[in-house]
Amino acid sequence: MLRVLLMAAAIPLMAGSAMADGELHVTIKDHKFQPDRLEVPSGAKFKLLVKNEDSTAEEFESFELNREKVVPPGQEIPVFLGPLDKGEYSYFGDFHQDTAKGVLIAK
Amino acid sequence: MGMTVIGRPSGLAYVLAALAMLVPLAARADFHIRSPDEIDQAEWEFETNGAASFDHNPSRSGATSYTAEIGGGLTSWWRPELEFNFARDAGLGQRTKAQGATWENTFELTEPGENWLDLGFYWEYSLSTQRQKAHDTLFGPLLQKDVGRTTHTLNLFFAKEIGPNQNVHGYDFSYAWQSRWNIYRYASPAIEFYGDAGQIDRVAKFQDQQLIVGPVLVGSVPVGTSGKLKYEAGYLFGATNASPNGTIRWKLEWETHF
Repeated sequence: MLRVLLMAAAIPLMAGSAMADGELHVTIKDHKFQPDRLEVPSGAKFKLLVKNEDSTAEEFESFELNREKVVPPGQEIPVFLGPLDKGEYSYFGDFHQDTAKGVLIAK
Repeated sequence: MGMTVIGRPSGLAYVLAALAMLVPLAARADFHIRSPDEIDQAEWEFETNGAASFDHNPSRSGATSYTAEIGGGLTSWWRPELEFNFARDAGLGQRTKAQGATWENTFELTEPGENWLDLGFYWEYSLSTQRQKAHDTLFGPLLQKDVGRTTHTLNLFFAKEIGPNQNVHGYDFSYAWQSRWNIYRYASPAIEFYGDAGQIDRVAKFQDQQLIVGPVLVGSVPVGTSGKLKYEAGYLFGATNASPNGTIRWKLEWETHF
């Protein structure tokens, strides 16, 4: 309720907002991202849905994309990204950095 | 029979009033930018902030402040924190004193990147433990925008003294800005501004306002399997006559997930 009230008060500041143009899915299983390479269109906004099928929490993190978000076990979270310039953007699972690695390729 | 005469304020009264307006930025440990995008449920933070100001004039030099705080995401959009404050006033012969405790609340109102601008809200209540010093509250919007590999964050705050010991009855307006270039996880450069325009019903001339500006280094280092150590450190130059010549500020935070 509090969040709704605060958001209502902030509507004038939200002009120009836009929803993501598309959705992509990635799954965390056995502390690895599946798939670990994702191609996305450059210059467009999109929503990455990250699902954690492990029994422990993971943190989806990308320094280059300025995103850092915990994915509780058994849950799915949205990560809104873009528009990106062409190039590669790495991401990783902060709690299992040795195995949970991936890359977004904006074309 | 006594008679009370209400006349024009004396020069001393003007000076005291001006000093009261400057106090909020003298050297406060909360010189750090608050992002609307850093809340995760069940993620806890243990944090310390500090600031120290220097000036050619000894009476305006030596102010320091420190905080110790603990907080965590109770939900995915609300992070309350409890902060304990310590400070030393500027000038010779001063000593560090406990100032009180602050209940901080950060609200994430939009998903990062979902809208053109990320939006949050911040509200705090400070309980003073100093005699003759008022409690106060501070609140305002947190705005953030990613542009390429840069992140730009703006905080706009209104502060008000409350309780029986108020020295100032109006609202104080302060602002803070950070532009960060996300080039390297362990150390990224940023530039920051911290300003205080004073009371909104009688804004001071620009040179009488507080404004400090300077470079800051921001980074994080993984710690164990579910935590990281984050730091910020910078040197801020006084940009107006009313600001101290220089201020160093730092923040150290251990972030972990339970």
